[in-house]
Amino acid sequence: MKYLFYILFFFGMVTVIVSCQEPVKTSNTTNSLDTLFRLNKNPYVVMDQSPMDMIYLPADYPLKRMQLPIAQDIAAPVVRIIYSRPHKKGRKIFGADSTSLCAYGKEWRLGANEATEITFFRTVSINGKNIGPGTFTMFCIPNADSWEIIFNADTNIWGLNRNPTKDIFSLMIPAKVQEPSIEDFTMVLQETKEGGNLLMAWDNVKVDLPIVYMR
Amino acid sequence: MKKIFVKILFVTLVGLPSFALAQDSLKNIPALDKTGMDASYYPVDFPKLKMRDKVTTPLTAKLIYSRPVLNGRAMIGELLPYGQIWRMGANEASELEFYKDVTVGGKKIKKGEYSIYAIPEVDSWTIIINTENDIWGAYKYDEGKDVVRVKVPTTAIANTVEALTVYFEEAKDGCFLVAAWDKVMVKLPIQL
Repeated sequence: MKYLFYILFFFGMVTVIVSCQEPVKTSNTTNSLDTLFRLNKNPYVVMDQSPMDMIYLPADYPLKRMQLPIAQDIAAPVVRIIYSRPHKKGRKIFGADSTSLCAYGKEWRLGANEATEITFFRTVSINGKNIGPGTFTMFCIPNADSWEIIFNADTNIWGLNRNPTKDIFSLMIPAKVQEPSIEDFTMVLQETKEGGNLLMAWDNVKVDLPIVYMR
Repeated sequence: MKKIFVKILFVTLVGLPSFALAQDSLKNIPALDKTGMDASYYPVDFPKLKMRDKVTTPLTAKLIYSRPVLNGRAMIGELLPYGQIWRMGANEASELEFYKDVTVGGKKIKKGEYSIYAIPEVDSWTIIINTENDIWGAYKYDEGKDVVRVKVPTTAIANTVEALTVYFEEAKDGCFLVAAWDKVMVKLPIQL
């Protein structure tokens, strides 16, 4: 019995030590935010609070391309997204009340600043509808159990007041629980059997948007 | 007593590892980049002008680049040696899109997407516009795909610029693509 206790104590300590190493990452995010405030002294163009980011399908396409031997090349990418990444910063993000940053039923640019832009390098199928090749903006109307995702033909726009006459189509996708909660709005393009999946996650909500194409 | 041990056993073998797994799932979520991406437009702040219905000239150029920070380091002439090609940004090669034909360094450039690089020197930078795109940095830079190379003089600036800043500025016959970092500034004329 005594030995069992020692063994359990040992496992317990190991697990605690392992999990204690994780919060370091979160403090890194805080540090980089502090750096941003310091950088805002820039006399020309200040660093943005919600920095832009770019993702590809296949994931890390430019990196993979660089790592190939010279004179070898890979096929063109399928999807590219440029979006800005706002932070939660202790605020309520999704909710029914109007104090939520992305209130239910209200249009959101799926990012920050400029409207999020998605480029399809070839024709893909989303919810049974063909789209691309071309560049489109994306919007979202979040609700408790689903998000409406809208594709629009108007590009190079600020992400407020979309022009509905330029909508291509929209679709509903189920909203799921994200655990643990995520500080920075995050989009991930993943390869799947059917083609690809766009995972979007912020705070305690995540959604999947399947993108179908021949691999 | 035995019940307590069973509980401890349960927590240790099931509870804590699953907590560790939950932490682990965060590893697949890309963290914020240290050198955040940014976009510059000509006309300046074009998307905002469009939102406010104040567009007078159509969108001409857009630059998407990542903004490395000095962080106490000596960059130009040190970590970025003089005479060596540099992506004028970080991570992916900086991308320059023209929405109409323009003239740079006396050469006509067709509308389209290009990558942009710089070779810094003490008194001047060579700015390179290349047809390659969707690539990482200048590691596989191919001179054969150059559209134009222009030598532009450097200007010293009084205040150190912490984060690389590249933006468009109005000029008499078009615009400048201005790059400022550390204590150096260069201006690339673009004729419209």
